[in-house]
Amino acid sequence: MALTTLEFEFKADSPKSIAKEWSHLGVTGSGDLEVLMEKKDLDGKTKAKVITPVVGFDAIWEKMINKFVMENNVGDVSIEINDDNATPIVVYMRLRQALAEANAKEAE
Amino acid sequence: MKNWKKLEESSFLDANARERALGMVDAGTFTEFLNPRDRFVSPHLPVLGTAVEFDDGTVTGVGLIGKHPVFVVSMEGKFIGGSIGEVNGGKMVATLRLAEKAAAQIKVAHPDEYSERRPLVAISFETGGVRLHEANAGLLAHAEVMDAFQDCRHKLPIVAVVGSKVGCFGGMGFVAAATDVIVMSEEGRIGLTGPEVIEQEMGKEEFDASNKALVYRTTGGKQKYIMQDCNYLVEDRISDFYGVLAKVADLSMDEIEGMRRIGSLKLVQEQMGLVKLVGEMQPKDAMDMWKYYGNENPATLPELSTAEFLKVVKRRVRN
Repeated sequence: MALTTLEFEFKADSPKSIAKEWSHLGVTGSGDLEVLMEKKDLDGKTKAKVITPVVGFDAIWEKMINKFVMENNVGDVSIEINDDNATPIVVYMRLRQALAEANAKEAE
Repeated sequence: MKNWKKLEESSFLDANARERALGMVDAGTFTEFLNPRDRFVSPHLPVLGTAVEFDDGTVTGVGLIGKHPVFVVSMEGKFIGGSIGEVNGGKMVATLRLAEKAAAQIKVAHPDEYSERRPLVAISFETGGVRLHEANAGLLAHAEVMDAFQDCRHKLPIVAVVGSKVGCFGGMGFVAAATDVIVMSEEGRIGLTGPEVIEQEMGKEEFDASNKALVYRTTGGKQKYIMQDCNYLVEDRISDFYGVLAKVADLSMDEIEGMRRIGSLKLVQEQMGLVKLVGEMQPKDAMDMWKYYGNENPATLPELSTAEFLKVVKRRVRN
């Protein structure tokens, strides 16, 4: 059984890019995932690439990331996810955390 | 990510590999080698349909403690049990080789100041040993790491830092034993065969892995401290581990050599003496050993806080 690679593209209504050049959050643990966000000139769009051992949930992935992009007006960002069987709500939460991390002011 | 000050006050046990790496060196000095953005993932896992991680489950890098460069290897137990494969094993070896090279260059550039600038390697173990998906490469990495330890000997200290959930087991248990200095918290565990595996192979009568108290008093930090298998026992706080690293960085290489457990005829004889003693005593529990070394009420020791424990504990006397 090979890993599945999914690629999506989204465009929010009023997209805003992230503050940092890139950020990384999470661990590809069982039932969890890691997110790598990078600032990229994508004409306001958000690109997402998901690598997962799970088969048959392509539409759910698309819906969940779309919800994240639209609700948070994410744009000009490339998102890469290494997943290990995370549930949709964990996916959404980690994306929100990664975004917060990407916009956090540098700690002292 | 928490800022450094907050990180220092946090639990080492709860920290992920990157937080531990940052917290073991001075604020703002950490530079990561092959960070997640480099996407240096295992080539073997996708073939087997197993999820990958951008840092392959190990954070490597360099920071400073005072003037000492500190080369850090920090393992992430949540990614395939912190197991060692080809890529993260290679990262570990390369970090050690870099530390050795740095030591040689510093010796040339600052001959009068070497002891103040001497590098240190800190390895935060959180692993069950070889990653079975890529076992040959993983085993090879274990051997190469031990080889690198030997080359660093008498030049710079290698410190094992053990205080994470998974503990340090399997082949990496051997690797930890081959370092110069071991620092643990009560929650840290070192062993070869993990509790579950012993139970699976030998039965529940031999070792009940669900009995946490038994597991900890057999493999945990307090037992290792009494037996002199670890050199320092600290509270579960990142700053406490940092404090020991800072202390070790300033010790002489002779003092550091004196903390080793293996690596000379004398040390082999010391270990053989222990084997003989255990053969004669036939202890049924770690507490039998604690009593033998002068702890009158061994059953009270697991209940004590680390500070209280350090005040009253009697350890094996090294000859």
